[in-house]
Amino acid sequence: MKYVCAICGYVYDEEKEGVPFSELAESWTCPGCGAEKAMFDPVQETAEKETVSAAAADDGLRALSPRAMSMVFSNLARGCQKQYRPEEEALFRKLSDYYLSHSSEGAAEDEKELAALVSAHLKTFFPQAEKAASENGDRGALRARLWANKTELMIQSLLSRYEKEGEAWLENSRIWVCSVCGFIFIGDRLPAVCPVCKVPDWKFELVD
Amino acid sequence: MEKKAVRNLRLCTKDCLCLYVCPTGATDTENSIIDVSRCVGCGDCAAACPSGAISMVPAVYPEQQEKKEEVCFALNALIEAKAEEEMTAASLARKTEKVGLRRLMKAVTVSARLSGEDLAREAGYMLPQGSPALALLKALRDNPPSDDFPLNETNRIIEAFKGE
Ligand code: SF4
Ligand code: SF4
Repeated sequence: MKYVCAICGYVYDEEKEGVPFSELAESWTCPGCGAEKAMFDPVQETAEKETVSAAAADDGLRALSPRAMSMVFSNLARGCQKQYRPEEEALFRKLSDYYLSHSSEGAAEDEKELAALVSAHLKTFFPQAEKAASENGDRGALRARLWANKTELMIQSLLSRYEKEGEAWLENSRIWVCSVCGFIFIGDRLPAVCPVCKVPDWKFELVD
Repeated sequence: MEKKAVRNLRLCTKDCLCLYVCPTGATDTENSIIDVSRCVGCGDCAAACPSGAISMVPAVYPEQQEKKEEVCFALNALIEAKAEEEMTAASLARKTEKVGLRRLMKAVTVSARLSGEDLAREAGYMLPQGSPALALLKALRDNPPSDDFPLNETNRIIEAFKGE
């Protein structure tokens, strides 16, 4: 039987490896991207799609919150940066900063609340976005949704590992973020290319 | 289509071939940014550059692929979800005294922002000069959300992109 990593697509082939997947230690992580064992699904099983409720689609109708507006504007700033237009980039940054300074603060007590949030988002907004994008044949939106979804799964996996192993795990580990897609990698040796968006490893930035 | 030259300062090795070939002196500037007002779009600098540091881009970018309302709604909800995660992770990073957790929360903060930005690109805000971005700026100019809203900056962007 084969198992595939939901994040980077690494395939664990029991036949080749000689060790049944179920016998791998719980601490075993994906050789491709470092995700937890729980991120693997058996290959033949067609993944059960969550049924998407139409109700939550209305959520998108709301005006964006200040923090989301800040993201829209920091994105436009990056767009200017790519066009080598530093002046307009700085102006868009001002707008982004304005909205950030008007954003609300998080009230979560601990990282478990963040984990709950991530799990809830994975069940609702991600499948809804996939549905809307594929029904409208929007491949760009499908791409962005896919990258964000994989990155989200990794965050879920890292939070779950932190809950089990705590500070000891992170004490001597380096934490990297792909500056293109936001994929988080923990470990000393970066993969040659980002497991999600495939940019070369020098695009990763160290978090200190 | 009329083109303009832009130079990637990170790739530029200052070999200076572009200075020799440019018929208008547009490549020779004190801040190394090609002077668009002088560039006539001949493309000679891009062809001569040994480092692939110069790109020829349209003087006026094409109108972007139209985004379906339904897609924008779904992506906006997702951007909102990432914003909520950014907010949560950022506050946890500030609050915690655990060193490892703080780094992890910082990473999630950065990551959530990058995902949110990428999703915003696909929700119609790909091109800063595009009509959705411009419509947003104009709506804010006409109805600033608060007194300290950067109105001047907003007007300057609208002005800079006029005719693009
Ligand atoms: S030719 Fe290319 S590398 Fe040389 S100065 Fe011009 S842009 Fe830079
Ligand atoms: S495209 Fe032609 S005019 Fe414009 S900067 Fe390059 S060489 Fe000069």
